[in-house]
Amino acid sequence: MLNTEVKTELIQIVGAAGYLDRPEELACYSYDAFVEEALPDAVIFPKTTDEVSKILKTAGRYKIPVTGRGAGTSVCGAPIPVRHGIVLCFSKMDKIIEVNTRDRYIIVQPGVVNADIQKALSPFGFFYPPDPGSMNSSTIGGNIAQNAGGPRCLKYGVTVDYVLGLEVVLASGDIIRFGSKNIKDVTGYKLSSLFCGSEGTLGIITEAILKVLPKPEAVKTLMVTFDDLDNTARAVTDIIGSGILPAAMELMDQLTLNAIEDSANLGLDRNAQGALLIEIDGVKEACDKEMKKIIEKLKENGAVHIQEAGSDIERDKLWTARRSAYGVFAKLAPDIVSEDVTVPVSKVPEMIRRIIEITERYGLRVGVLAHAGDGNMHPMIPADKGNIEEWQRVEKAFSEIFKAAADLDGTLSGEHGIGLAKSAYLPLVMNQSTINFMKKIKHAIDPDGILNPGKFV
Amino acid sequence: MKEKKLQNCGKCGLCLNACPVYKILKEEQVSPRAKLHLIKAHDQNTIASSAFLKEIISKCLMCGSCSAVCPSGIDHYSKFMEMRRKMGEAHGEAPAIKSLIYLLAREYRTGFGAGLARTGQKLVPAGLAKKFKLGNIPIKNFPELNPVPFRKAHDEVIFPKGKPAGRVIYFTGCATNYLYEDTGDAVIGILTHMGYEVVIPKTQTCCSIPLLFHGAKDRAMENITANIKALRDIEAEAVLVDCSTCGEALKNEYPRLFEPHDEHLVAAQDIALRVTDIISFINLHFDLLQFDPDITGKIPVTYHAPCHTRNTFSSHLTVEKILQAMPSVDYRQTPDSDQCCGGGGTFFYEYPEVSKKMVDKKIESAKAVEVSHWLTDCPVCRMNLAGNTEKKDGLTVLHPVTLIHAALKQI
Repeated sequence: MLNTEVKTELIQIVGAAGYLDRPEELACYSYDAFVEEALPDAVIFPKTTDEVSKILKTAGRYKIPVTGRGAGTSVCGAPIPVRHGIVLCFSKMDKIIEVNTRDRYIIVQPGVVNADIQKALSPFGFFYPPDPGSMNSSTIGGNIAQNAGGPRCLKYGVTVDYVLGLEVVLASGDIIRFGSKNIKDVTGYKLSSLFCGSEGTLGIITEAILKVLPKPEAVKTLMVTFDDLDNTARAVTDIIGSGILPAAMELMDQLTLNAIEDSANLGLDRNAQGALLIEIDGVKEACDKEMKKIIEKLKENGAVHIQEAGSDIERDKLWTARRSAYGVFAKLAPDIVSEDVTVPVSKVPEMIRRIIEITERYGLRVGVLAHAGDGNMHPMIPADKGNIEEWQRVEKAFSEIFKAAADLDGTLSGEHGIGLAKSAYLPLVMNQSTINFMKKIKHAIDPDGILNPGKFV
Repeated sequence: MKEKKLQNCGKCGLCLNACPVYKILKEEQVSPRAKLHLIKAHDQNTIASSAFLKEIISKCLMCGSCSAVCPSGIDHYSKFMEMRRKMGEAHGEAPAIKSLIYLLAREYRTGFGAGLARTGQKLVPAGLAKKFKLGNIPIKNFPELNPVPFRKAHDEVIFPKGKPAGRVIYFTGCATNYLYEDTGDAVIGILTHMGYEVVIPKTQTCCSIPLLFHGAKDRAMENITANIKALRDIEAEAVLVDCSTCGEALKNEYPRLFEPHDEHLVAAQDIALRVTDIISFINLHFDLLQFDPDITGKIPVTYHAPCHTRNTFSSHLTVEKILQAMPSVDYRQTPDSDQCCGGGGTFFYEYPEVSKKMVDKKIESAKAVEVSHWLTDCPVCRMNLAGNTEKKDGLTVLHPVTLIHAALKQI
């Protein structure tokens, strides 16, 4: 708990209802979807940028750590307050400020849920492309801080590609605004790239201007199964290699497929060794043409069963099942680690082979799930953290998986971020000078290190 | 059957936006994920039992929306019920909740009506009502008691005209029995119109969901076994409920309450298989309905989907389908027809400020579609919606069966 003096000062800013510090409450802000936990000393719900600025000034004066949080759906531990202090929770700062589809932007506060942005845009025939698996719960502030991705980012790009402008409160309490309502804007440094993926270590996002797109006229969704996982992966590289860019291309292995089938009862073939969920969108005629080419490529690679979703309801079912994949693994063991190493798409088959070889060698189960079209792998290992020996094997296996990805010109994270999960592995993909450069930036704007300390920088 | 499957919360957070309470309060501690975390922490002695812990745990509508979206297949009901029991034992219940449990638990032995009769035709004892203001619902807006309890007013077996097409059991629930006889009359009217023989077992009693949700499992078991005995030996193709919460009890909760070798388990499972909500049953036999061709004009109608209708029977879309197919109805959907109204058993009483926000949103959308009737197939939703609307809103709240029945041809 914070001392009375600080507490009184903070309550003066947000009111008593915006300040929590009873043990029953604090426990609920100690976690996200990652496996670690750490208790904050206080949880504060700001409602305005001005409040955030005042809170940071107070925290800075007393050198109290401040960790931002939205809905706590991060899978890398980014909002876990490992150095305790304040959790700044944005779930109540959740207003949609302006929807402007004529000029193709939407302005939102950080606590707006991704799915609510989609709902606000839908009547106008527009959408916001980034679609993380957590989109029904996760907030846009978190999406930006983590530079979230999602299945359709294969075609459309990730969060950073849609941030036109931000309002950010720095550790000093200063409020900065950069970018604009314009799709084109090269006025000064592209600072949105700096804050996207900063995981709350550089500043606190209090407002965002996001680019939106008109909804494609046609969407087609295919569910394809294979009797060989290698063929499944090769079909992906073949399709992408032939110049087609589907909106999404999701790969699942047998373990994943069965876990999904257990919870969703979609009638998927439980014996299939691999499956692809492919979605294409755009002008109807173009979709038909692309679909033909995709089906050719699938057959060349030995697809066993190709089924097109017959209705929106069927399509929703398939995607709901896919989005629930992370959760269904929780049925298999007390804990689950999901990683998101990413490799160039031509290396997907090789990366999958290595993941399987490594996990087999350590005697672990693995579910291979991937946004395969962009090489973003999600190997998931169900295990028991309480079993120290097993957990050591999990950690060793992941360390080898990271090395394998680096070997294949890949990277540590495609969309989850570094958080607590992967900071130790940064040197695999970054030289010391680059790490030092990040540290210099951090030190320049947060010299006392109060913003989300204990993370990757 | 008691489930012994792994019950691990992966903390993915998909339940957050499914939870009606979280959506209003936007604070993690009230979310289903947080409640599971606190229950675990309490079991592991890292969080002490406290009145405040009890408050957090009971800030829940027991609507089942979290379980419905949970990819990890967690049985939130059982976990929450067990924790509510522990918290109730350690920290007590509010006096009004205690009275409710007392009345419902005695329903089987003495009849709930006797207890209520003394209080002057009102659902809740006047003294309590005045003192506690009953959540956000003005007392004058509560329904009056049926002049005679519905089951007492009807024969145990009701025959259709002509040779019966089949036989069904009607589990009336307490709401129809004591408060909403119009619903019961419509159910019987529709079923006999379809040619069904309707059996209303006299020895049925409160389904006991309110007792289970308030942790009074021991007192609930007497009612539950009485119900199983009342229903098990009657040959009938379906056990029909007009309240989806009673349906949730009979279909999902009863079979979970018995150990593998308990003599009642098989009967409970058999009953569970036959339980259907009245709406799904009507839809299944829709071709048996003959609408009155002389009715002209269309009544503008909207619908509120109760949580248990969505999560237990998925029949909310069926209601909408039936309403759209009815010649005398102009069905107008609201964008939030599937959002919780905040009634939630006794939630509206325990957390009026949260509940009020939820119901006000619903009323705004219902008014926006300019209808005269607002239909809902849960008595608590009905009480909550009707209790919070004002006369000038011009909304009559009814169970969908009442309108369906009124549209049928006399045969």
